[in-house]
Amino acid sequence: MLNNKARLFGALVVSCCVSAGLQAQDCHQALRGYIFDAESKTPLAYASIFVKSLGRGAITDEHGYYSITDLCDSSEYVLELRHIECAHETHRVRLKENQELNFELRHNAVLHEVLITEKAVAPLPTQAESTVQQVDLAAAKGLGLGETLRKLPGVSLLNSGANVSKPVIQGLHSNRIAIVSDGVTLQSQQWGNDHAPEIDPFTADKITVVKGAAGVRYGVGAMGGAVILEPAALRTLPGLNGWVSVGGYSNGAGGVVSGAMDWRPARGNLAFRLQGTAKRSGNLRAPDYWLGNTAALELDFSALAGWKSAHWDHTISVSQYNQDYGILRSAHTGSLEDLRAAIAADTPRNNVNQFSYLLDRPMQRVRHSVLKYRSVYRINDVWKLRGQYSFQYNQRKEYDRGRNGLVSSGNAQISFQLWSNTLDLALEHLPIRHWEGGIGVQAMQQLNYVSRGGFIPDYLGWAGSVWMLERWRRYPMPLEFDIGLRYDYRWNHITTTGNGNNNLDKRLWFGNVSGVAGVLYHVAPKVQVKLNTGYAWRPPAVNELYARGVHQGAGTYEQGNAALQSEKAWNTNLSIDWDLPWLTTNLTLYRNQIQGFIYLNQPKDSIVTTVRGPYPAYFYQQDQVVIRGIDGNFSVKLGRHLSLESQVSLLRGYRLAKTSNQESAVHDWLPLMPADRYQYGIKWTFQEGEKAAQTPSFVRISGTSVLRQIRIPDAGLTKPAPAKYTVLTLDAGHTFNLGKHPLELGFSVQNLLNTRYRDYLNFFRFYADELGVNVGVRAKWRFGSTL
Amino acid sequence: MLLIAVSATLVVGCKKDAATVEEKITKIEVHLTGINGSTFNEEFSAEDPDADGVFNTIASIDIPMNTVFNVHVHVYDGTTALDSEIEEESNDHLFVYQVTGGNLVVGDLNLDAAGKPFGQDSKWTSAAASTGSVRIKLIHEPTDKGNTVDPGGSVDFDVTFPVKIQ
Repeated sequence: MLNNKARLFGALVVSCCVSAGLQAQDCHQALRGYIFDAESKTPLAYASIFVKSLGRGAITDEHGYYSITDLCDSSEYVLELRHIECAHETHRVRLKENQELNFELRHNAVLHEVLITEKAVAPLPTQAESTVQQVDLAAAKGLGLGETLRKLPGVSLLNSGANVSKPVIQGLHSNRIAIVSDGVTLQSQQWGNDHAPEIDPFTADKITVVKGAAGVRYGVGAMGGAVILEPAALRTLPGLNGWVSVGGYSNGAGGVVSGAMDWRPARGNLAFRLQGTAKRSGNLRAPDYWLGNTAALELDFSALAGWKSAHWDHTISVSQYNQDYGILRSAHTGSLEDLRAAIAADTPRNNVNQFSYLLDRPMQRVRHSVLKYRSVYRINDVWKLRGQYSFQYNQRKEYDRGRNGLVSSGNAQISFQLWSNTLDLALEHLPIRHWEGGIGVQAMQQLNYVSRGGFIPDYLGWAGSVWMLERWRRYPMPLEFDIGLRYDYRWNHITTTGNGNNNLDKRLWFGNVSGVAGVLYHVAPKVQVKLNTGYAWRPPAVNELYARGVHQGAGTYEQGNAALQSEKAWNTNLSIDWDLPWLTTNLTLYRNQIQGFIYLNQPKDSIVTTVRGPYPAYFYQQDQVVIRGIDGNFSVKLGRHLSLESQVSLLRGYRLAKTSNQESAVHDWLPLMPADRYQYGIKWTFQEGEKAAQTPSFVRISGTSVLRQIRIPDAGLTKPAPAKYTVLTLDAGHTFNLGKHPLELGFSVQNLLNTRYRDYLNFFRFYADELGVNVGVRAKWRFGSTL
Repeated sequence: MLLIAVSATLVVGCKKDAATVEEKITKIEVHLTGINGSTFNEEFSAEDPDADGVFNTIASIDIPMNTVFNVHVHVYDGTTALDSEIEEESNDHLFVYQVTGGNLVVGDLNLDAAGKPFGQDSKWTSAAASTGSVRIKLIHEPTDKGNTVDPGGSVDFDVTFPVKIQ
């Protein structure tokens, strides 16, 4: 009796648990992904994928894509993959929610081992972003980071001559955007308009620009967006492979060589990569004259090692970026009178109008070193613990002109040094009841040391952050959303070594919350609408607080404002992605309202009498501003080979009237906002379909038209905004197999018609024209088996 | 292991590299010595002790009427005189004088090694009582050294002293 009761009770418990288990198990999951050819990496059409236990499966479409619906969550399935040209393979997979699995099949291979390339596909962000197209990335890498980004809608460049370009995302730049390379946010002297990011684009396999407030994901530096560079993954199978890329450019008689080698020994779990880039160019040329002293020299390397086991994934990397570059001799002005004379002149004054590889003063020497260690521990199928430590040392030396005694010592006038230690810890999880995301903490320590005369003070800073980011999606529901929160705290001790800031000894702290929320709606299989709104902030930078002195390059006297408060931005963007076979459209509308936007302002006729004579005096101040605009990207296929491409970037940035809260009051436009830009091109592709995307052979002619910036501050500009211009670019690419390995060839002509023009966002528009025609050729050869 | 790495770099990261040679002109001193029987001997200076590039004080050059002076301009970076450096590179430097308002004539600029105007030494001649100003500029690498009004080049300093002739 008792026995029976116990048995009955036991049965009840079991059945209860079983039913609970059944309830929790979701059998409306889909398995999606691509099947590739393991050697050529091209998608395999008409490959079959079969779920043995269910007796059903799918056939890949012409893009190699498959999808099997109505599978159960957390169940194990055996999949059989077949293709007419390949050996069949069997894979055992345990399905997780919303998983995409990509497989690779090998030609005629004898299968000693089962290969499974499981890729946890990152969910689509709800935030507007643009990824640099592979063809554009290949074509522009040799020209620097700026050139690789300038084709993206909503991205423009802030230049100080041709050698210094800073990305501008939807009107914001420098301290307001983050540049993240392989998970490390670049820490350098971003405040300076003439300080370009210290990044070698050859280290990246993919470059994405995130637009709008990205503070939750990338920290306080990402108030206006982020540039994300991702390297290629390390080898997963034993062997050796790599690539060598060479390029030559007519303008400046420049050359670039870059190469990388990946190796994985036959035994063990280690994989290695060595990469390096060397680059040199001489004086660049505007259509009518040489730009004296614009030579540049660059030498970069990186090394990466990874060790992977069932639970651990360790990566350690070191990299160094070294660049010496000349600053246009004509841009060196000693006084306001010099500056006025330079502005009035049609051709550069004091120009060294000849070609040379020599670097003379004024010049800058930059070195940036990064050491990074990352470790990921897979706790189980769902949870992952990620830790990352990075050390960065940024060194910038500015060599100015001066008395011979000074110059002959070979020393710089000014040096900046910045040490940064960053520690990240994150606990991440794969979908749990359709929620995927993580929580994390970050700590950073920074020490900035500036030599005498350095315009900004020294500081020691500590920063701490906690964040959480979660995303919900339930396939095949058309709605996805994400939400994030972050708190950042920054503490700074600011001191000085004597630059008009004697006896400065301040302790400051700033803290604030950031947040983000977004929705993604799949209107139709290839149509998505994304709405994202974010709140981000940044504390005032040291130069904005305490700069005091003549800013030589700009010909201004600048004075910081110690009373500045944190800048807070509320950014909303709406994007529509529409992907039809004949039409691809991405359209982003954005509005960024910034409370306490910090900028340099010149009260009317304010002049300071400096040691070098009278200079216009600029003061840092803050105001409520609005930046809004439209970024668009359209591509239309006309027939099988011909396509039209077009990009539009329109932006309006203005101060809200101080006296009233009404936006309808007369706008005072912000200085230095990108002018309206239209890009359009026609492209002929020699192959069709997916093959064209994998090994492109194409010819393209494109134009960029930038209108004159008519929306300028009421107070006027030191030099009127330049006229509108149109420049044409021709580029072509072809890939063929050299022996067993692909060889990519490229040809490009920038500024095809050798048009004379100046750009509003180039500080050197005061002195000289932009570059003239530039013919470039490049080749990239891959070797080894790319697996 | 992470903590060891952090603390190691924290210690390493504190070396200060001071191999820079920024020069700042923080003081200009105009030394006037009366000649032809005058015993006048005074220095007037413009000073920027905090080195922020803006003069904190500019003295008024108060001088007697109808007198001739030998004038020498001293240039300092803090307490270091830059005179000898400038003199050594006299070919690359030019002092430019511009008088406004006062009854004062500046002339007889001394010459550089190549026999062209240099102007660190000059002769000033005052006339009737009046007030005005004298603007003194030091030009580095002038493009036209013969032109003592607008010689091109870049400006090392540019200062305007008030002048009172009494």
